This record gives sequence, C-alpha cells and structure tokens, in this order.
Amino acid sequence: MRRRHSRHILLFHLFLFCLFLVTSSAIHAQSETPADTAAVDTAKVQIEPPTSVVVTDHKYDDADALELTWVPSVNDRVPGGKVVGYTVFRSINEREFEPLQELLPGSNFYLDESLYRDTLYSYYVMAYSRNDSARSVATEPVSPQREWLHVDRAWLFVIALLISISVFYFISAAKKGEDLFIRKIAGLEAVDEAIGRATEMGRPILYIPGILDMDDVQTLAAITILGHVSRTVADYDIHVRMPVSRSLVMTAARETIKASYQTAGRPDAYNDDMVQYVTDEQFGYVAAVDGIMVREKPATVFLLGAFFAESLILAETGNSINAIQIAGTARPAQLPFFIAACDFTLIGEELFAASAYLSGEPKQLGSLKGQDVGKFVAMVVIIIGVVAVTLGQAFDVAFMQEIFDALTYVFSTQ
Amino acid sequence: MEHIAVWVAAFLTLGIVSFLYKDNPWYKLSESIFVGISAGYWFVVLFWDNVHGKFWTGVFPPEEYDAAGNVITKDPDWMLWIGALLGILMLARLVPKFGWISRWPLAFIVGSTAGLYLINYFSSNMMRQVQGTIMPLFGMWQTDPATGEVMFQAFSTYDVVGNLVILIGTFTGLVYFFFSKEHRGVFGATAKVGIFFLMITFGASFGYTVMSRMSLLIGRVDFLFGTWLGLIK
Amino acid sequence: MSERAKEILVVGLILILSIIVYLGKVGGWIGALAFSPAVSIVVIILIFLALVWMLVRTLRGQLLDRRIVFLFVALAVVLPFFMSITQEIKISPEVQQLYDALESLPPGSKVLVSFDYDPPSAPELQPMAESFLRYCLLNDLKVIIMGLWPQGPQQADLALQAALADPRVQQKNLEYGVDYVNLGFQAGNEFVIQRMGANIESMFPRDYTGSAYRDLPLVRNVKNFSNIDYAFNLSAGYPGTQEWVQVAVDRYGLWMGAGNTAVQAPMMYAYVNAGQLEGLLGGMNGAAEFELLTGLPGKGTKYMLSQSFAHMVVIAFVIIGNAAFLTSGRKKQPLGQGK
Repeated sequence: MRRRHSRHILLFHLFLFCLFLVTSSAIHAQSETPADTAAVDTAKVQIEPPTSVVVTDHKYDDADALELTWVPSVNDRVPGGKVVGYTVFRSINEREFEPLQELLPGSNFYLDESLYRDTLYSYYVMAYSRNDSARSVATEPVSPQREWLHVDRAWLFVIALLISISVFYFISAAKKGEDLFIRKIAGLEAVDEAIGRATEMGRPILYIPGILDMDDVQTLAAITILGHVSRTVADYDIHVRMPVSRSLVMTAARETIKASYQTAGRPDAYNDDMVQYVTDEQFGYVAAVDGIMVREKPATVFLLGAFFAESLILAETGNSINAIQIAGTARPAQLPFFIAACDFTLIGEELFAASAYLSGEPKQLGSLKGQDVGKFVAMVVIIIGVVAVTLGQAFDVAFMQEIFDALTYVFSTQ
Repeated sequence: MEHIAVWVAAFLTLGIVSFLYKDNPWYKLSESIFVGISAGYWFVVLFWDNVHGKFWTGVFPPEEYDAAGNVITKDPDWMLWIGALLGILMLARLVPKFGWISRWPLAFIVGSTAGLYLINYFSSNMMRQVQGTIMPLFGMWQTDPATGEVMFQAFSTYDVVGNLVILIGTFTGLVYFFFSKEHRGVFGATAKVGIFFLMITFGASFGYTVMSRMSLLIGRVDFLFGTWLGLIK
Repeated sequence: MSERAKEILVVGLILILSIIVYLGKVGGWIGALAFSPAVSIVVIILIFLALVWMLVRTLRGQLLDRRIVFLFVALAVVLPFFMSITQEIKISPEVQQLYDALESLPPGSKVLVSFDYDPPSAPELQPMAESFLRYCLLNDLKVIIMGLWPQGPQQADLALQAALADPRVQQKNLEYGVDYVNLGFQAGNEFVIQRMGANIESMFPRDYTGSAYRDLPLVRNVKNFSNIDYAFNLSAGYPGTQEWVQVAVDRYGLWMGAGNTAVQAPMMYAYVNAGQLEGLLGGMNGAAEFELLTGLPGKGTKYMLSQSFAHMVVIAFVIIGNAAFLTSGRKKQPLGQGK
C-alpha cells in the first residue's frame, strides 16, 4: 500500500547519494588498558614491541574501513609467552593517539570499520606484559579509499549479464519475426469463453486493472490484455465497464479500447465513459467498484494487475453476484484469495506470459524467454548442486564436494 | 479529555464493525472520517518530511551550533534543485496540453527503480535462494562436540522430508513457470506437482491471513472490553 | 414495529448499557469479569454444540445467514478473554533461532530495531515490539530505533513506554541517548536502507526528539551497518522485511531477524531457510512464543486463547461451508483449471 506514496518520495532520495561529508569522529577508549590493572608485581616482565605494523585499505567498500596487520612481539611467539594482550591506538587527522581496541595475545590483525573518507588515520600497536608495555612505530597517516567495482561479486554480474544478453537476443529474434514458442496458459482460453458468456446473457463486462499506476509492470500487463479483450468486445458489441483508480491508467485504457474499436471498424461505438476514474484512495475505490458490481451485475469480471488488501473484497463481491471471474496478479500474498473466489487465476508470472502471448510484442516475448533461460540455469544448478553435495557428503567424494563449493561460491552474493 | 478520546475511538470502532450487519449511515460516517483523516495526515507528513525536511532545509540549511556555541555553517545542497525541478514537471499533468512533460520524471523514477530492483531481486530472490536450496539431503560430516571426532551424521526423518519438500517444491515450481515448453508428458507431470505445491503454499498463506485478521479483531476487542469498558483484566 | 425502529432500539440499548458499564468502571463499582474454569468449559461445550447443530442444519439444506458466522467468530474472540484457562504454547524453530541470536549477543551490543508498521497492524506487531524491547533493555543491549513508515517511531515510543514501565527495567536507570535512542522516521523506503549502509547519520541527522545525531553518545560512533551487532525489523508490508533483506542483509551483510504480520510471514520463510534472516516471529503466535522463551509474558500470551478459539470456529465454518457447497450442488459451469 505504501508504494503509492513512495513515488513522490523517491525523487528526493536519489539525490542524496552525494550528500554528507562528515569530517570529525571521536572514538572513545573502550575501557581501561591492561597496563592499568597489572601494577602490583614489582619485578618487571620486559617484552619486545610488535613489528612491521602495516595499514592497508579494506577492499570493495565505500571508504569505511582500514586493515591493520603486524608481526606479534617476539615474546608472544610461543604459547604461554609473556605477552598478555595488545591495544591498538589510533590518531585521527594527526591529533593525539587514543586507545581503540584491546586484543588477545597472538593477535596480528585488526579491521577498523566505520571510518570516513578524506580523513587521515594512523595507528600503533602496544604489547603488554603483566606490568610492562612496548609500543610499535606509528604508521604513516592514510585515508580509506572507495572502490567503484566490487570484484568479489563478479559472478553476480556474470550471471545477470548472461540473462540480460539472452533477453536482448530473444527480443531481437522476435523483432526479426522468428516464432518464439510460449506454452498455452490455461486461464487464457477462458477469456474468450467468459466474454462469450457476457454476450449470451446481454450483461456488461467489468475490467479492473489493479490499483497501482502505469509505472507498475502488472498494470502494463493488465492494459495489454485489455487490448485483446476489447477487440473481442468490439466484435461482439458488448458493454464494457472499467473503473480505475489512477488518472494515467484511465488515459492509457481509453486509448487502448478506442484503438480496438477502430480496428474492429466500429469507431462510433466507442465512448470515453467506458473507462471512468474513481479515486486514488484504496478503499474508496473498492467501495465504488463493489457498488458497480452489485448494481450492474456484470456477467464477467476481470481482476488483472496489482492488488493489495482489496483483493478478497472485490473477488468475494464478484462471486456473490455469480459473475465469471478471471483474476491475475504477481503479488503472492493476494493469490490465495483469487484462487479461492475466482474461476480462473493467472498465477504470478502467468500474468506477464499471458500479456506477452496475447500481444505478441517482441519486448515482452523476449523478456519472457530470457527469464526462462534464468529459470533453466537455476533448475540445472539446483539439481547438480544437490546431487553433488548429497553424494559428496554421503560417500565422502572429494570432487563432488568441490563442485558444491564452487556452486556455493558462484551463487553467494556476499 | 481522556474520556472523550476513548469514547470517540469506541464510537468509530463500533461504527466500522456495524458494516457486518449491513451498510448504514454510522458506518459511512466512520469510513469518511477515516478516509479524510488519513489523506490529510499523509499530506502533512509528506509535506513536512519532503518539501520542508529534505528540500527546504537542504537548500537553505538552518544555522546550527556546536557544543561551544559556535555557528556551524553547512553548504546548501544544490543537487536537490534537480529533484525539485522533476517534481514540478510532474505537475504538468494538470495542464492537458503539456501533460506529456510529466512522463519525463516518471521515466526517471521507473528507470532508477527498475535498476535498483533488478539487482536486489536478482541477488536476494534468485542467487541466494538457489544457493539456499543446494543442501545435502540425508546427512553430513560434522564434528561431534563431545568427542571432537569428525563423523557422518544422518539427518532425522523429519529433516530429510523437509529437505525433500524444499527441493521438490522449488524445482517443480520452476518447471511450472517455465513457459518455453508445453506441459506434456513427464514435463507436464512435473509441472502438475509444482502447481500442487503452489496450492498448498496458498492454503498456508490463507491460513496465516485468517490469523492476521483475527489478531486485528482481537486487538479491537481488547480495546472495547478492556480499555473502554474495563471488563478485561 | 418497523425494521428501522428495531435497529434504533438495539443501538440505543447498547449505548445505555455501555454508559452504565463505563460509569461503573470509572466509579469502581464494576470490575473485570472472569469465568471460573467450570463456567469456561460449559461455554466451550455450548459453542461446540451450536456449531454441530449448524452443521446438521446445513446438511439438511438450510443455509446459514452470513451474519451468524460473524456472530460466532465474535463470540469466539470475546469469550476467551474472560476464561480462566491457559493454553500450552509450542516454540517453533524460527522463534528459537531469534532467541538464540539475541542470547549470543554480549551486553552492550547495539541492536537496530526498525518499526515499519502503523496502527492498523499494531495488534499483531505491538506485542512483539514490547517484549523485544523489554528483553533488550533487561539484557543490557543498546537499542537504536528507527522507522521507514511515518507512524513507526510513534508505535516505537508506545512500545518503549510499555517496556520502561517494567519495574526491573526501571531499576536499571536507563538513559535516553545512552541506552536507547529513537531516530525517528525517514521517507524513501529501500533507498533509506541503501544509504544507511554507507552512512546512517546522513539519513537521520536528527533523532525523534530533535537532538543531533552526533550529540547522542549511543550512536555517535555508529557510522553504518558494520557497527550494528544485530537488527530486528517489525514489518507490516512495503517497505519491510523483504527490502531489509535485499539491501541490508544481502548487500551489507547485516545480521538480522524479523517480526512480521501473519499475512506476510509465509513469504519470509524462504529468507529464513536460505539463512538471510536469523529468526522470524510470525503474527501473534510468534509474539506469544517469544514471550514464553524470554519469560516475559505480555499481550501475545494474553491474546493467544482468543486466537486459538477463533481459529477453531473458522475451521468449523470451513467444514460447514464445504458441507453447504457439496449438498447444494451449486457449481458454476466448469471452465478447466477452476477451483
């Protein structure tokens, strides 16, 4: 439901990408350093400092992290050595060094996150024994860098590219007039039958294109299917009623129906009142549509597009007037209601498939075929992956396990 | 004041519930109040949050003071004017002659949203889901926490059945939504299994929705009998 | 008497009765109602018998008025509030997973809670919000609240007040800005999450009360999701858990769990299953289970009996409805796939 309001808000956010430059940060000491707590014993346990402290940029981030590595103190290289811990100290913009993080003996790495771009950071590492400490040399001040590309996600790019290329390939194939096969969709055959029923009964057809605007792909599919429906309607001379909740949808629907009547050679039979704008308010619209259903008792109701909480109210009212109902939406949460209360339901992607099938438009056909490639890849990968890991684990087969590891790596997006 | 508030809330709640008996003026009044208030509320929220909160304070930043009382100057964010311009173009819809101009900001929104969604859906709903479906069905090598020994541990029957349901459900569901092949023979049978899984999912979803709607009713009943009439502990 | 006159009479009677009960409540001479266990069982048996009678009537071909269905659902919801019987609650794995995740957090961990719902969904999500916040505050977890829905932070404020009213929480003398903070609402849906992944302050320069972000000790050093130890999203739709998973979890690796309305919950299981969500509370049931696990009984537990009763009555009506469907033979012309 929120989506409707979001359109107006989105604009402003798109520009916030260049917003903030925060230059100061005060990192506080986490707690006391080990040195403060161990001053009882008088015999000094002398230790050597950590060496080779190197700070490097953390890769593939928005300049928020630096990686710090060092070689632990020589007194920390055997288990049970003299070193009881380390503390990383940090200075921001060449100001004073402050303790940042305590670490256990044996540590040689620290990732400092939540840093800011264009700010200089330098570090040193202090090793502690029970009652002594030794600090390393401080690093040169550096700033974290941001990277344009996240190379670790190359596989996401490759697979997205593969599917995109196949979409483009099929679109161009469709444009060249190649016959792209799409399987029959059960609900579609019912469309003509349902229109026929309205003709027999002499009652109108009600067409509801969902409650979202023209920027939603489901509404686009609904308008494409409307093109097919209205051509048949024009041939049979049936009355069609289409209340809508968006002004843009009203314009698009009027143009579509008008074109259909012109194709049928009966332009004078068309009038603008077939499509009527009601209101943008969700439940106001529902109340109006319910009223139309109860008063005009259409023989056939189409509910195609994006629906929210109103799906059951509309479908149930349609059911109560004994109309034949054909529904379709890609919103999974609303499908159960349509399936329960309507005669036919185009489930999820079937709505888009129906739209592509009926319109024969190259772009829609091509996208549908391209997505089939994606589904095919997913099916193959799932089967290979499950077989590999199941056998690999059950019989301890190394190369099977390797296949599994490779697939997991490719499909992980982190 | 508190008494008036609770009575108004109770009056409106009962007004909406009265629709279950039949459509009536009490219901219509309550619904109109609801629609009016929500529209007004949204207008105010969006105005203060976007036009004022984002645009106005972004372009004309108010003076701020740090802890010592010094004025912190903030540079105006000129990029926001582009957003404002696109927003104004949206209003061209009001003049039918220039209505086409409003398609430009709309194209901007559609394009950028599509770009964002493409990656989000592709990575979360495809890649990660495929990865999540690839799992050993019957058991795996695990370290025994007691002995520290690495050994093969078979899953419980419950887990094995669960894994099989996830695998078969996902695979046959994909087959059902594969449009490049006719549903005949083995492929058709697989797709049938897919639709069977989908229907069970929808049934479960329906059940959850009943639960959701009941919760809302329970909340209102608690208000009426508890907060309003004080009959519930 | 005309139909209209009867209706006005009934409404008038309800009004008078309500005024009397309300005055009784204010004056203190009418207290809370409670049925003894014996009366509770008698009430249950009576409802059961009434349902059986309706089934028999239906099988004989006499269809029910839909208002009877409404009446029985109402009774099934209202009566359990007065019953003094308790219900066993079983813990589901997703709820256990959420609880385990919380238990694994050391004291002082920062927990981000996004309130993405408004009053219409409050009956389902508010119990979760209250018990979640109560748990965090009792266990010294630092809570950072925000909302992608305009009314979210207000719901958060209500939940916070409820959590802070707990005497054990009061003993901790928690301080706003140090132990918990409410950053308020920000418009922009998933774009807000996206920006937060780089810089939280850019999206919330000021908190709910108008204090500057950098003046709040709790969040001063929180730059982005890498400084958040765990996140919890209470969601009733768009934007909600799906957007959080797609952006914050999958792009920025945020560790998070969610509480959803029951309508949405089935769609989120896929994310739990794929490891994108660490724990899920689904609807009131989820809230009750969480309350049981944390040992902090609240509204979820209180509402569970009504919920279960309502479900049983709905199941009974599904059976009656199917009986009516089968006996009446009312079928539309078959068109293929159909129902």
